Amino acid sequence: MFGGLHSPVRLPSEGALLVLAREFTPRVEAFGATPVLLDLNGLGRAWPTPRALGEALLERARARCLEPQVALAWTRVAALVLARGRPGLTVVPPGEEAAALGPLPLGLLDLSTERQDLFRRWGLRTLGDLAALPAKGLAERFGPEGPRLRQMARGEDDVPLVPTPPPQSFECTLELDWPVEGLEPLSFLLARVLEPLCGGLSGRGRLAAALEMELRLVDGGVHRRALKPAAPSSQVRTWRTLLLLDLEAHPPGEAIQAITVRAEPTPARSVQFSLLDPAQPSPERLAETLARLHEWTSAGRGGAASLLDTHRPGAFVMETFAPGPVSSARSRSVASVSAPVGGGQGRGRVSMRAFRPPLPARVSLRAGAPAFVSAAGVRGTVVDRAGPWRASGDWWDVAWSREEWDVALDRGVYRIYRDRLREEWFVDGELD
Amino acid sequence: MTAALKLALEDLLRARCLRDEAPPLRGQDRRLTRLATGIVEVDALLGGGFPRGQVSEVHGPASSGRTGLVVACAARVTGSGSLAAWVDPGDRLDPASAAEAGGDLARLLWLRGRPRSSRNLPEAVSGAGTVLGSGLFDVVVLDLGGAPQAELQRLPHTTWVRFQRLIEDSPTALVLVGDAHVAQGPGGASLSLRPRGARWSGSGPGRLLRGLGAEVHAGRHGIRSAGLELQAFR
Repeated sequence: MFGGLHSPVRLPSEGALLVLAREFTPRVEAFGATPVLLDLNGLGRAWPTPRALGEALLERARARCLEPQVALAWTRVAALVLARGRPGLTVVPPGEEAAALGPLPLGLLDLSTERQDLFRRWGLRTLGDLAALPAKGLAERFGPEGPRLRQMARGEDDVPLVPTPPPQSFECTLELDWPVEGLEPLSFLLARVLEPLCGGLSGRGRLAAALEMELRLVDGGVHRRALKPAAPSSQVRTWRTLLLLDLEAHPPGEAIQAITVRAEPTPARSVQFSLLDPAQPSPERLAETLARLHEWTSAGRGGAASLLDTHRPGAFVMETFAPGPVSSARSRSVASVSAPVGGGQGRGRVSMRAFRPPLPARVSLRAGAPAFVSAAGVRGTVVDRAGPWRASGDWWDVAWSREEWDVALDRGVYRIYRDRLREEWFVDGELD
Repeated sequence: MTAALKLALEDLLRARCLRDEAPPLRGQDRRLTRLATGIVEVDALLGGGFPRGQVSEVHGPASSGRTGLVVACAARVTGSGSLAAWVDPGDRLDPASAAEAGGDLARLLWLRGRPRSSRNLPEAVSGAGTVLGSGLFDVVVLDLGGAPQAELQRLPHTTWVRFQRLIEDSPTALVLVGDAHVAQGPGGASLSLRPRGARWSGSGPGRLLRGLGAEVHAGRHGIRSAGLELQAFR
């Protein structure tokens, strides 16, 4: 048996009828806020007659300050149309659906305006008029839609009930008997909150892309934290570590009375691993490691360097460390040769050990070339040199212009430069 | 795929030696493979490269090529798709040099010290511990070059033993870069570099720095040695 609920007046809330219907059965199909269709099969033990069941529905609705129209019928379409067409409670015995639907107006079938006008010109006013037409004639004029409309007018089902899934809420709250202070006891409590939450996520094939934590404090305040790691996860251990690390950096001011954790779900990732490329790091472990390095990453001192597209020496920005997938072509080309990528014949490259900021220096010149360099920690006579190399740029922004020299001192080879705009010398770095 | 088919495929991959840096097959211990620097002379001296699961060190004075050597190793690791970390309390790494050496900067985690802070070294040691403990990185470089000797001596004596214990069961190699001997694991490599001077070409305004030469001694007593030539990249 099916039940139809319809409210002709505005509902106090969008899902009021749906919530009411779910009190009776989990198999509920909602068509927006109204009408709502219920699968009432198997409720005979609780309510011996359909009328008793209908009365119970109405009674429960009145308790919620709702005045819906209720129809109980043995077909889905009859219950829906009767709920929309008749006030109060309607109960239709099996086999009498067509008779019950017959006097109702055609408009209840949600026809298009064009089709309603056509039926009106044909002299059809009620569902009974449509049901009386021959199916073959309707099929010739409307195609498959014609017999389907006739079937509906006779109260015969063409599609089964498709239950509307319950709203997915990934939230978990733990009320504590006694307030807790400190992170150690909180660690166990977080696991108790996170286990059902992550279990629910995994059960639905989801991961948490972000997590919101609300800690209700004993003084009535709320300590809120939101975490969005580099990679979504549904692992309790990962989230617990991330939350604890965050709370270590931002501890609550008072003892905690209740914990609420809310997850933002995202579909689980699917990754095809390669047989020939190096195994990629687990995103969860990477996110956990970066969270542990929060002190470095938050201050912009930790991450991956990215070179800027400019001729300005030493221009780079720090970006979040998020290594993407391996480029197979690149990795194979590197692995297939014994020599390093940059240096031919198995030789390495000279690397610079930069001074940040560059060391201000005093440079003595002889015949226009550096002869003696003195800076903090770098001092000596120039025994050999190459240069000058002049470069400038960014005249439209913060202009720079420099004259570079590679100089060999008694102890080490350095790159020095003269800032041509400020007429000052600096040691840029040690060549090593 | 059946187990038999998997085994047959793994045998085939092993027999063909498709790639040095391929993921470990079943029963294969990655710690047995070494991390090559790609510099022929140095790899020959190290018996294939830096050993995994061990603390190794590269030390030498200014312009001895210690940074170039370790950058080459990190570049090779990142270029092959693995991850490397560079813990840099002195903020001395030049990303352009690392990119020139063929490294993939997106796969190189760089932890930089604060300018003129006295807490850089303890923080770097703590950061290195976190990075080593993650087990995500094939090579972790702790650059102690230029760090005052007094600060190094203030570090707890157990620091290096702790690091060795952290990585001994993992495929991570820790490489310390310093001005002088710092520490070395029981199976780790110790490379001591002595500069042999810079090489130049041309004269006058067109004169160029062609590279740096160094003598590399392996082991605490430096019995085995080889020449090292690093090319300048200007």
